[in-house]
Amino acid sequence: MKESIQRKIFNFLLEHNIENFIGVPDSTMKYFIDQGLKKKKILIATREDEAIGIAAGMSLSDSSSLVFMQNAGFANSISTITSLVQLYNIPLIFLIGWRGYLESDAPEHIKIGKIQPDLLNSLDLRSKVMTNENWNECCKWAVRKIKNNSSCTLIIRRISDD
Amino acid sequence: MIRKNAIKIISETVGKNSIISTNGYTSRDLFEHADKLSNFYMIGSMGLSSSIGLGVALKNPKKFVYIFDGDGSILMNLGSLTTIGSLQPKNLIHIIFDNSSHESTGGQPTNSKKIQIENIAESVNYNVFKTNNENELRKILKKTQKRSGPIMILVKIQNSKYVSKRVGYSPPLIRKRFMSSLKTKS
Repeated sequence: MKESIQRKIFNFLLEHNIENFIGVPDSTMKYFIDQGLKKKKILIATREDEAIGIAAGMSLSDSSSLVFMQNAGFANSISTITSLVQLYNIPLIFLIGWRGYLESDAPEHIKIGKIQPDLLNSLDLRSKVMTNENWNECCKWAVRKIKNNSSCTLIIRRISDD
Repeated sequence: MIRKNAIKIISETVGKNSIISTNGYTSRDLFEHADKLSNFYMIGSMGLSSSIGLGVALKNPKKFVYIFDGDGSILMNLGSLTTIGSLQPKNLIHIIFDNSSHESTGGQPTNSKKIQIENIAESVNYNVFKTNNENELRKILKKTQKRSGPIMILVKIQNSKYVSKRVGYSPPLIRKRFMSSLKTKS
């Protein structure tokens, strides 16, 4: 995804009352994270489940939170999603980098990239794949979801080899 | 000292401040002996009490946030100590009930006897206290009222045959009760 769009996504979410951005970095969304770092709004955690825990604590304090991670970290987070986020109905926006979307990606990403849509489905976690064209409506959807106290997922694909 | 007695002593100090308590027997003891709106009882997501507590502490600087953790639980999430130590929340009091075992799952050993959790905490900039008796615990709690966090109190406890009842509230109700408590002044 284009650098300028990633920066716009960050600005849009911040302007729409998403107050906390916590996660573990992923190259797929590096400009999004950089935009947040410039605005001093990013908290980098040591692991994705830790990030979800911190975000849950902030959400319990009535402060809307987004958790960002690569899909490898999404796999690390499944138990935390089922036994904290979903068990207690704590609303969060997940932003997940889709590695392994291209079969030419590095080998460690291929399997998780392939099963990611099925994992999201099995978890009943509603998601939208963002592009340079549809990002604005995806972000509006996510903001509506969190206002209605439900969790959702935004996805950024890695669509070129670097 | 056994955990339920330590929990009774600490809960008297906590007042209307928040407690985030780890899953298993810790939350069960807290529920049975000192139930309050401001207790967030974890059921599942073992290891994350310190992370949830950090999120609450950062967003509620006028309240003290007490984290009730175990040795097994903190060893699952040691990275959390480094995040808390880096951010230095002044209102965070992290209590580790250390029985060197996973008591809730049958008493299997942890490695906490072979290592020094208190040294790890000190090296990531916590103020650290350690005790194995009730009178000293009361004195430490008094002292911590005047010190700024992050504070760790490592409470060495023995396992007990007494098992408290399960937390009687549904998780969404635990969330609602806890959220309403954050809206009242301590």
